Amino acid sequence: MQSSSPQNAPERMPERMKDLTDVPSFPAVYAAALDPRGGRTRGEPVLPSTAYRVSSVRIDAERARDFDHLMGGPATDLVHPGVLHVLAFPVSLALMARRDFPFPLLGLVHLRNQILQHRPVRVGELVDVECRVRDLRPHRKGRTFEAVSTILGEDGEIIATDVSTYLTRGGAASPTLSASPALSASAEQSPASERAARDTSSADGGRAGRRAFEAPTPTGRWSLPADAGRRYAAVSGDVNPIHMSALSAKAFGFPRAIAHGMYTASRAFTEARVDLSRPLRWDVSFDAPVSLPGTVLVAFEDDKDAGTVTCIGWRAGRGDQSPRQCFTVEVTTLGG
Amino acid sequence: MTQHDSPRDALILGGNRIPFARSGGPYAGISNQDLLTAALDGLVARFGLQGEKLGEIAGGAVLKLAGDLNLTRESALGTPLDPRTPTIDMSKACATSLETVIHVSNRIRLGQIDSGIACGVDSASDSPIEVTPRLRRILHRAFAAKTTGQRLKAFSAIRPADLAPVPPRNGEPRTGLSMGEHQALTTAEWGVTRQEQDELALASHQNLAAAFDAGFFDDLVTGYRGLSRDQNLRADSTLEKLGSLKPVFGVKSPQVAEPSMTAGNSTPLSDGASSVLMGSAEWAAERGLRPLARVVDARSAAVDYVHGDEGLLMAPAYAVPELLDANHLSLQDLDFYEIHEAFASTVLSTLKAWESEEFCRERLGRDGVLGSIDRAKLNVAGSSLAAGHPFAATGGRLVATLAKLLHERAEETGRVQRGLISVCAAAGQGTVVLLESVSD
Repeated sequence: MQSSSPQNAPERMPERMKDLTDVPSFPAVYAAALDPRGGRTRGEPVLPSTAYRVSSVRIDAERARDFDHLMGGPATDLVHPGVLHVLAFPVSLALMARRDFPFPLLGLVHLRNQILQHRPVRVGELVDVECRVRDLRPHRKGRTFEAVSTILGEDGEIIATDVSTYLTRGGAASPTLSASPALSASAEQSPASERAARDTSSADGGRAGRRAFEAPTPTGRWSLPADAGRRYAAVSGDVNPIHMSALSAKAFGFPRAIAHGMYTASRAFTEARVDLSRPLRWDVSFDAPVSLPGTVLVAFEDDKDAGTVTCIGWRAGRGDQSPRQCFTVEVTTLGG
Repeated sequence: MTQHDSPRDALILGGNRIPFARSGGPYAGISNQDLLTAALDGLVARFGLQGEKLGEIAGGAVLKLAGDLNLTRESALGTPLDPRTPTIDMSKACATSLETVIHVSNRIRLGQIDSGIACGVDSASDSPIEVTPRLRRILHRAFAAKTTGQRLKAFSAIRPADLAPVPPRNGEPRTGLSMGEHQALTTAEWGVTRQEQDELALASHQNLAAAFDAGFFDDLVTGYRGLSRDQNLRADSTLEKLGSLKPVFGVKSPQVAEPSMTAGNSTPLSDGASSVLMGSAEWAAERGLRPLARVVDARSAAVDYVHGDEGLLMAPAYAVPELLDANHLSLQDLDFYEIHEAFASTVLSTLKAWESEEFCRERLGRDGVLGSIDRAKLNVAGSSLAAGHPFAATGGRLVATLAKLLHERAEETGRVQRGLISVCAAAGQGTVVLLESVSD
């Protein structure tokens, strides 16, 4: 087993591994997240040093098939890494729904996601899932941290690592759960996420900085139906209300339902036509949310020498509204 | 051996298929495109074709959804092959992937391409279900309507019966008989016994099981969705078990005195996909690939079954002698026979026809019989009765299997080996191919 990841919080306690009997269900996690957290101390927030582990989870062939089909790809025996993400996501959500987790789960903004997959995973395979949170950093809009899921094979070898970077907004040192439903919102994107993402990329010395988005020549157009969120929920289990319907999204302060970020990212992965038998890295960054129903223009670019396929997704400008970048997906085939 | 002045050979370099499944089995919910992609993916992996731009991929399916018009292309795009590899979709019922092999072979021989894949797929589990022709016309009228009134008028014509879904037709449209019922007539005509049919079915299971046990399919089959062997294979089948099954075909035909065709000696509805890698000698040599066999020649024939002039599945009985004559071979000059087991009695009726003086004189216009074959050379690695028969995938299975058999035997004996593939198809058609071993 991997020991606790390097931390920048000096008061970090040694890791405590908690074994869960099964992958938690999303509705239960979301319900727990609505529970007001008492007894949280003021002062610098500290990420819990607890890690969650679920052992011997089977990669369900039918679920993988439905996932592939929703992404427009063939049902392959080597699973789409998005399947690994949705397998681990409820486990990390459960970790973030703990009472000692210092931030409101439903106010988190999914900024980036990186999956590093060392070897292909077959449907029907048994894997262990371990989830941790780490790397709390200041951000000009609040703080960021990483939820890290590790997928391990039966022999304990690490098959894949899934790092989701979340932003928790506002209240620099006093992250209290707001009673306002508008804040009890997103585990993924929110209307503020585009700004946050820009800020992040400039803080990282990133590509776009604050420059206006210049839309490339589109290579495709995705028309996402009103039920796109419900369809992804059916294959991923993620029933976050902001994705499910306009009505449920409104209850959480969104004018319309928004697409799951990992849906657009997974679809871009499928259309990147990657050789799943090779080790790979899948980098995603989210900018503006994609409203449902909605149309996203995409531009794919292959860099054969680097082994990289890049997909940029954006919504077209209209009238005096300029085009808004929604996501960037980069898939790199590694090694020989 | 070949009498053709072919500028060059079209070589079979290998094959890959997924295990065949029974309809409604482990591939239920899996599409033709999924299955074909899986077969092609395995071929690409086996022969290191990642990023390779091939001359052409020819593929097809019999039970094909309207939206799958570019089935082969869409499947190929889902593999690590160079996306600039062109494809073609072809269709000839159960002979589909044998025809794709011939197509790719011809292209290679003519120098139009240097490499290609022939493939085929079918899923009886995911066969198209259509709307009734009446509903289709009403809907088209409604879509074309200019006003809401016209649209409502069109819709008002819909009757409850129009809404019934229409599954694929199970039978010949011109006779109303299913393929099994047609074959039951031929079975009775040639006096094929229940015992003979069950023996052939048993041999198919035993041969396929032995071939799997011996590792023969290790480089021909890639597992998919938890299957590693053909699901229909019954290694422990016995004549007693086969003999206990009730006849299912011919029971409604007055001319069939003793129906003898059962679920055991007929192929089940199946799901699966197969692929065959082909190339010129130069192309193979550049990639260090070892050719197994060459495509020598092919013929097709059709019979007039509609008014009973000939049995529905008897076309290969006509195509084979033509193929043999063209290549100056007798039926007995062949080392392997792969005769597709649509039904056990199809194989047996064909063999009886070739043994019949009357058939050979009157139907084939020959001086005498083609004669008998050595049954020990027939379907030696099992065939469709055991493996199952996903229609358009069967030809590819046969070609890859026979090519490997020929190559192995040629290596053992040091002699050139020849093999015949014969496939009957719906609507009274048949396609036959002659392969010859290539060895170092």
